[in-house]
Amino acid sequence: MSNTRKSFLILVFILAPFLVILFSLSVGRYPVDALTVIQVIWCKLTLQPCPVDEIYQTVVWDIRLPRAVLGAMVGGCLAISGASFQGLFRNPLVNAGLLGVSSGAGFGASVAIIMFNNVLITYLLAFGFGMLAVVLSYLIARVYKATPTIMLVLGGVIVSSVFSALISLLKYLADPTDQLPAIVFWLMGSLANARFSDIMMAGVPMLIGISGLLLLRWRINVLSMGDREAHSLGINTTVNKGIVIACASLATAGAVCVSGIIGWVGLVIPHIGRMLVGNDNKVLIPVSLSLGAVFLVIVDDVSRTLTGGEIPLGILTALIGGPFFVYLLKKTKGGGW
Amino acid sequence: MASLLSVEDISFGYSATPVFEQVSLDISPGQVFCLLGPNGSGKTTLLDCILGWLKPHAGRIMLDGADITDMPARQIAHHVAYVPQIHEKTFPYLVKDIVLMGRASYLGPFAAPSEEDVAISAQALDMVGMGSFKERPYTQLSGGEGQLVMVARALAQQTPLIIMDEPTAHLDYRHELIILETIVKLVRDRGLSVLMATHNPNHGFYLQKNGINTRVAMMRNKHITNFGSAAEVLSEYKLGELYEIVARIVDCVLDDGGVLNQVVPVSTISRG
Repeated sequence: MSNTRKSFLILVFILAPFLVILFSLSVGRYPVDALTVIQVIWCKLTLQPCPVDEIYQTVVWDIRLPRAVLGAMVGGCLAISGASFQGLFRNPLVNAGLLGVSSGAGFGASVAIIMFNNVLITYLLAFGFGMLAVVLSYLIARVYKATPTIMLVLGGVIVSSVFSALISLLKYLADPTDQLPAIVFWLMGSLANARFSDIMMAGVPMLIGISGLLLLRWRINVLSMGDREAHSLGINTTVNKGIVIACASLATAGAVCVSGIIGWVGLVIPHIGRMLVGNDNKVLIPVSLSLGAVFLVIVDDVSRTLTGGEIPLGILTALIGGPFFVYLLKKTKGGGW
Repeated sequence: MASLLSVEDISFGYSATPVFEQVSLDISPGQVFCLLGPNGSGKTTLLDCILGWLKPHAGRIMLDGADITDMPARQIAHHVAYVPQIHEKTFPYLVKDIVLMGRASYLGPFAAPSEEDVAISAQALDMVGMGSFKERPYTQLSGGEGQLVMVARALAQQTPLIIMDEPTAHLDYRHELIILETIVKLVRDRGLSVLMATHNPNHGFYLQKNGINTRVAMMRNKHITNFGSAAEVLSEYKLGELYEIVARIVDCVLDDGGVLNQVVPVSTISRG
């Protein structure tokens, strides 16, 4: 690939999420034209009084912008963590939830919905239990001062199923008029309640996780050679695996605690990336971040415009992503698998 | 001359029963060391200890005169590279990306390979004659080609010693010879040393015939039982004892008048 083409593609992948966010500010049940959107953003950023009607300001700045930004961050986090885990666990079929972070977070959120009915506590418990699940999986896998990959997978399966059972138990106990639907909707994923405060809070672990994975992305190639080979190539596998797991889990737990459980992104976006740019994690990891962000913002736009109500994201990601994935499979002939 | 690798009386076992006990060996620059032994005799485990992947329970392992016990993986990787017996291919990485991974021990934790690393790995690929394959997904290579890529990755690591675990297992005659010829070239032209576990005693004869300083050791019943040059160790009696077989050694007179010895396995001896 020539250098100009390369630079052009890099620019496209960096700009795409921002353009999609901008675009999604004018889409919705309450249409706002592009010029108004730009006007609102301009005066908000420069702190000038706005000539635009108050309602447009609220729709664009207070409702759609945080939602789109959060959507981009969540999608990016799920995709980048998924790509990292696929490399780390040498398995193209895993996603960021492998070590139980999603089911742990789901349990934490269910507890919060039943016991506290408070949004902030829901975030905190979802995040806390998501991370706790990963730590438990890691401890289960820890034998002989090392953490063999296969034991990690096993630990993750055990912890996930225990938390899934606990979620079912809570659903069974929950009040069917209000608590049960709340839990079910949370588990299907949504960005409907996104506000700037969410970005401030959940953004911290997400950004830490993303930065760590971007920095370590070439090492994930080496780790994907398997523990023994990575060791012989000069990598401390225990430390490096631990850091990748910590970063991916921070990013995923940060995403899941504000959005609920959104499947499919972490599994399939990395594969779309593999078909487009190949398997070298040096390129694949940042591309997954960009693609995940773009994908989830678009899906969320569909979610809030398609019907009068909101369609949960977990449903739409699969319904939109599935056919698109098949299309790409056919077009790229699978990309060398 | 100081030895590249000296293994001094090491013992290892996964549980109470030892895999091997009080094993010692020594490799000097420019030597090829063939480790023979029946399946399950602990050859791979011994190699894992030398690579620092497993920790021996007793004895010590010295690389260039330094004890590896407290050496970080990065430092061990500067002394010894590894060509695995079976490499499980998961993702269709390009051949050049695979070889680049040999540079990992020279890069900081957050660094990606530089232009120089790319040049070094391209050179390593050329050295094994695989330069034209560098843009191919390595999942599409044949067994022999894949093995050569693994050798190139080890070369990119720029170590004085390469450990190969049965490098010709699963290969046909031609590819087996390509690997052996590559080893001869690397030892002769670049002064590298190779420690290889092998199931084929003929490798010892082949290397000896090609003027390589060849050492052969037999591993059996938790110990190294015989050690010396190929001619000393590879006798009908000793091979018979090692594998519990009846073996004959024949002389092949080659076109150039040289003689290449070959082991012919004849029959098993019952373990009665």
